[in-house]
Amino acid sequence: MLSQRQIQILRSALDRIIPADDYPGAWEAGVGEYILRQLRGDLEPLSAAYSEGLNALDDETSARYGFAFQEIGPDQQDNLLRQLEKGESETVWPIPPARFLSMLIHHAAEGYYADPANGGNKGARSWQMVGFTPADPHAPGARTDLSESEKALQ
Amino acid sequence: MSDYDVIIIGAGAGGGIVAGVLAEAGKRVLLLERGRSLSFEDIGRDHLRNQRLSLYGHNAGPDIEGNPRVWLDGSGEPHAIRPHEGGYNNNAATVGGGTRVYGAQTWRFMPTDFRMASQYGVPEGSSLSDWPISYEDLEPFYERAEWEIGVCGDGEANSFRGPRRRPYPMPPIPTNASRQVLERGAAALGWNTFPVPMAINTKTYLGRPACIQCRYCVGFACPSDSKNGTQNTMIPRALATGACEMITSAMVERIDTDSQGKVTGVSYLTEKGGRIANMTARAKVVIVSSGAIETARLLLNSGSDRHPNGLGNEYDQVGRNLQGHYYPGAHAIMPDSVYDGIGPGVSIATCQFNHGNEGIVGGGMLANEFTKLPIIFWRGSLPPDVPRWGMANKVWMRKNFGRTQHIMGPVQDIPNPECRVTVDPNLRDKYGLPVARLAGTTHPETVRTAEFMRLKAEEWLRASGAERVWSYPSGLGMSGGQHQAGTCRMGLDPRSSVTDLWGRVHAHDNLYVVDASLHVTNGGFNPVLTIMALAFRAAERIASTV
Repeated sequence: MLSQRQIQILRSALDRIIPADDYPGAWEAGVGEYILRQLRGDLEPLSAAYSEGLNALDDETSARYGFAFQEIGPDQQDNLLRQLEKGESETVWPIPPARFLSMLIHHAAEGYYADPANGGNKGARSWQMVGFTPADPHAPGARTDLSESEKALQ
Repeated sequence: MSDYDVIIIGAGAGGGIVAGVLAEAGKRVLLLERGRSLSFEDIGRDHLRNQRLSLYGHNAGPDIEGNPRVWLDGSGEPHAIRPHEGGYNNNAATVGGGTRVYGAQTWRFMPTDFRMASQYGVPEGSSLSDWPISYEDLEPFYERAEWEIGVCGDGEANSFRGPRRRPYPMPPIPTNASRQVLERGAAALGWNTFPVPMAINTKTYLGRPACIQCRYCVGFACPSDSKNGTQNTMIPRALATGACEMITSAMVERIDTDSQGKVTGVSYLTEKGGRIANMTARAKVVIVSSGAIETARLLLNSGSDRHPNGLGNEYDQVGRNLQGHYYPGAHAIMPDSVYDGIGPGVSIATCQFNHGNEGIVGGGMLANEFTKLPIIFWRGSLPPDVPRWGMANKVWMRKNFGRTQHIMGPVQDIPNPECRVTVDPNLRDKYGLPVARLAGTTHPETVRTAEFMRLKAEEWLRASGAERVWSYPSGLGMSGGQHQAGTCRMGLDPRSSVTDLWGRVHAHDNLYVVDASLHVTNGGFNPVLTIMALAFRAAERIASTV
């Protein structure tokens, strides 16, 4: 389980990874819910990496700026994340910072662009943004119950 | 006394067809499937757990837990791998097999694909060989598969096709924006193009409706049941006869032989009320249709005093020549949107470079890609210089999802006998059976051909007006996956093949293989229609002898 402080840092980092414009940023889109749900499920083996990485990001920001990550400006946040992505850190990280960043970026994209049933992509806003407009499997012309051939297999 | 005339192991593309033909011929058939029968709702629409992107699981089996394989890396180090992880080379384990969730491109191989060694010579270190049968031998069964499974297409439009007697039973899939752009580019290059043949209904066919163009073909089940696999064609036909009994969640442990070495039936395991029950069944003929990896594994796991190395393996051939397809391709940004939301997305192909490429062994078909899920697009369709995060990434996604074209195609694999399936000496599955162990890489000639095809994909995109084109070179590795093939190749010489030209295992009168394991080479095409044609051909033969 992540602490409230860790979740604040996570939220700030995710909102730089996928910032808001006229479409929602990561947190508003439900990426946080996606990740927190996954950390209790498929990504449970990475929960320690998340916790340690967020603490290290906290320490790194304090060492460089004297403030918490969520307190510095967006340009400073972006610069810091870019350096960490290249593996450049000033403090000691328990996991390689580039690996931590890569993990966050991939999970953010999953939460933002995958189907809403996974906990993120609220209102399928990212699909509207890119223009992916899937047909409704329950729309007229599609079926909602078993076909004859499926019934034969039951 | 036999319980059945025939036992078939695996209800996929091959096994489903054999079951249908034999049951309709009045044979008593037992069809065993290790997976379950899955409805549309069971398979679902999970963008992270499907047969196209299996980050955290699959939607069509096998279960993640209890079904590992072992992969040996280049240094010989073993790695236990679960079904949704890279290197497992999974194919769906359910009624219908891969056809339940495939994209349904249903290609005939070309006449030259059956005589690759004669055409090109045998590259050093490869096991490249001609098939013991020709395109002409298989042509009537390609036709039968196209009509009885249901394939749409334009039979005349591909100027490199082999001869055909009948057209496709349904007109081709409708055009889309991507195809219109690529048609112009190919015309400028003088390349022949045509609509992709697919096992998708473009009109009501065999009692099921036309495609609603929902663009979830590949990796998922079809909501309107317009995509044709064995689960909605040959298997229901088999069951309707009353002569075929299908048992799901049935894992075959071994093919049984008597003291003379004759195949008598199978021992299998079922889960009943959370407990595993041991079962046996006896039959005159046993047919293995479990896919190239599991078929080889089962033969290797069925050894006895008379067959210490497994069945059909007197000459150490079972499991060799594992091959699938390399998929070279290229992406491009087009000046305008090429996305109109009309599924399945794949709509235009060329066979201009399957053969006859100067200094290259074989080649492959090229086609545009299925409609991509946004997360698949994000993971695989970004140019190398676009940031993976931040506003620049978001803006790029928004601007270019609809303007990106992706052309790719399967390259004819040049087989390597050291790319192979064995059984692992240590790791066992949830049933206690030794698991498949995969090792080796394709032959380096495959990589050279893939590089040639990658540049052809780039050329096509440039000629179609692309603003920018990018692609990534291929490295040497294993190819298997859903197109897995070659592990029990057919041939005339038992020292270099596993079955005869019907799929009957050498030295066993009543043991057959019917799946892509038989493929001597795997064509520069999706292999499923060839699996189906071979199944119709073998089934007719078996029906006349049992």
